[in-house]
Amino acid sequence: MSETDKTHFGYQTVDQDAKAGLVAGVFDSVAARYDLMNDLMSGGIHRVWKRFTIEVSAARSGQRVLDIAGGTGDLAARFSDIVGPNGSVVLADINASMLEVGRDKLINQGYLGNIEYVQANAENLPFPDEHFDIVSIAFGLRNVTDKGQAIADMLRVLRPGGRLLILEFSKPGNPLLSRAYDSYSFNVLPVLGRLVAGDSESYQYLAESIRMHPDQDTLKGMMEDAGFLRCEYFNMTGGIVALHRGFRA
Amino acid sequence: MDPTLHIAGAAALETALNRAFSLDPAVANRLGELEGEVFHLACTAPAIDLYLAPRAGRVRLKSFHDGNVTTSVRGTARDFADLATADDAAAALINGNIELSGDSAPLMTLQRILSSLELDWEAPLVNALGDVVGHQLAEALRGLFSWGRMAQSSLLRQLEEFVHEEARLSPPKAELEDFYEDVAILGQRVERLQAKLRRLAARVPERS
Repeated sequence: MSETDKTHFGYQTVDQDAKAGLVAGVFDSVAARYDLMNDLMSGGIHRVWKRFTIEVSAARSGQRVLDIAGGTGDLAARFSDIVGPNGSVVLADINASMLEVGRDKLINQGYLGNIEYVQANAENLPFPDEHFDIVSIAFGLRNVTDKGQAIADMLRVLRPGGRLLILEFSKPGNPLLSRAYDSYSFNVLPVLGRLVAGDSESYQYLAESIRMHPDQDTLKGMMEDAGFLRCEYFNMTGGIVALHRGFRA
Repeated sequence: MDPTLHIAGAAALETALNRAFSLDPAVANRLGELEGEVFHLACTAPAIDLYLAPRAGRVRLKSFHDGNVTTSVRGTARDFADLATADDAAAALINGNIELSGDSAPLMTLQRILSSLELDWEAPLVNALGDVVGHQLAEALRGLFSWGRMAQSSLLRQLEEFVHEEARLSPPKAELEDFYEDVAILGQRVERLQAKLRRLAARVPERS
């Protein structure tokens, strides 16, 4: 098998065909305690990052929104409030366990009517061309096998003038913060994972996959290569997380 | 500044405001009149930019807004608080330090809604503490708040009198106005004298 058929799974190099299955294993394992772990791992700051994503999306009543890798539905719920009964939100996730947890959570919170749930691969979105006003993907892109293909497909389903928002872990600008963050990720996260979700390997993968993800400028370049215009990014919490935004012409 | 803190601050303030609105649902529902409007609040001290988007029953407070703004106001946190609680918003805007751009009518409506907020402490207190204790505590709070408001206005009046009349730290308003008028008259006279001098100078033949 040639090098081009390989991809990253954390720090390991695996066959491209195998990555989706391995990632599915990670999320099957953590789905039930995903929200709790997010709160614990980030000290609740992930809510602030997601809130900013909603603000930058400039979502309005009546719009169509696609939230890819929507997980347990944090963004979809906020989008649902904003777009209202005349708009629609599609919560898509490749992982059936995550989608199920997300759907149950949102239905229990009373979100009905304008949210659809679709199991979908970000590289081959099962939606028509030029269909959505906003596409978002929060903490999902680093798990996608072919990121370039996924970004190109996101462009395809966006209407002209529509915007893509990618919220993802990134590279801290300050070397001191970077060292502290590394130490936290590789020493504290797996222990938290073992104690709370009963699975340290999945959280070890999360920490590794964050390090292997393209940095701010590389990801911005990938969006531009795919054809997005006016691409920019907003660093948050010292660059631990970055929100990228680009528009379809 | 890292936007994380800014966003977290806006979120906390939004929660506090909406909790206050939930204590006066009748007034909170009037916010629906302003649905679709966005107010840009540029606070200079502390330096924070916020965008307020009302809808029936609640407000959204955002740290980032991509789109049109109905009204933009700039001032210190104290200026905003003064405007929000003023009895006469138009007068507070004209006489205050707030800079305004855009449409002022929706801002007036927002100010009227905010200043008419009468928080009903009784319902949440009764829910938490039971009928008897909750009611008594709510009565005490009501008394305290109305006393607080009276005390604040009378304290301000007394403080003003003390500064002007007793300590002579600052001249009274009337005296200041007289002084400003004198300065203006003096200014006009100087200008006239200058003009006269220029005319006279023009008549004097230049020395060769």
